[in-house]
Amino acid sequence: MTTIIKFIFCFFIISNSVLADNNKAAYELYKELRCLVCQNQSLLESDAPLALDLKKVVMDKIELGQSKNEIKKFLVDRYGEFILLKPKYSIQNILLWLGPILFLFIGFFVTFVFLRKQSMYKEEPLPLTNEEENSLKKILDNNVS
Amino acid sequence: MKNKLKYFYSYTPLIVFLILVLFFARQLILKEDPSELPSVLIDEKFPSIILSELVGYKVFSNKNLINANGPSLVNIWSSWCVPCKVEHEYLMSMSNNDNIIIYGINYKDNKAEALKVLDLNGNPFYAIGADQDGMQSINLGVYGVPETFIIDRDGNIRYRHVGPILEYDMEKIILPIINKIKQERL
Repeated sequence: MTTIIKFIFCFFIISNSVLADNNKAAYELYKELRCLVCQNQSLLESDAPLALDLKKVVMDKIELGQSKNEIKKFLVDRYGEFILLKPKYSIQNILLWLGPILFLFIGFFVTFVFLRKQSMYKEEPLPLTNEEENSLKKILDNNVS
Repeated sequence: MKNKLKYFYSYTPLIVFLILVLFFARQLILKEDPSELPSVLIDEKFPSIILSELVGYKVFSNKNLINANGPSLVNIWSSWCVPCKVEHEYLMSMSNNDNIIIYGINYKDNKAEALKVLDLNGNPFYAIGADQDGMQSINLGVYGVPETFIIDRDGNIRYRHVGPILEYDMEKIILPIINKIKQERL
């Protein structure tokens, strides 16, 4: 009798931990997948009918023992890479990932060139030409008289 | 030389502004709907789907789409979907006037309601199957009703239309593609 109880107890614990693992994997996937109806929400945050269906698909596949990557591939094959909230690190997306760094460097470069120019040309006012000297003199003389 | 450069600098706000104008104009002119997903199944075989029966109507599966005599449409619709009611008359017109075979997938619907709609508004479908839990449509990459796929005679998806088919879509997009497929002879 006690062995049976032990057995049931063990079974319960094991099945429970499997369930917990599945839930954790599903939870992680929900966070990484986009709800296609309300587009900047993840599946986890969304209660749209399609999101609920997609969550069911993910859960079913996890219970079938599929890996996260297999499930992602299944969805990407049908809905496109758009369903991934975090774009893949691929050649196509290189500008997306490296763009910000690129612009940062462009910014640094422009600032550097600008500052260097400023320090190089400390502008001295040009000396007045003869003509200007004369007209200035005229004005001053006029004011005095 | 230096003056010229200064001259150029004074134009930078204008140049930046023009670049922004171009950027926004692109979106305005192309009228791309950002909520419309790019299609990934184009030129792929229509995936396998298993549909249940609507009483009194012929049911179909993806097997019917392969080795067909000509192009066909697969339309995903529902009785609770308002845009579907708008496109219904154009589906009827394509089915009756252009003799196009249209397959219907009834998406997450109450079968009785679906039957009522077909009785009241007419049936544009050659065969129709129900996807009660929406899982078959997920296999198709559907994310909202209505959606329509154009299938060629080999069962490959050639075009996917998201949202209702309006008169413009029918005349300028759907029918030309259908005619193109009709002219393809192996």
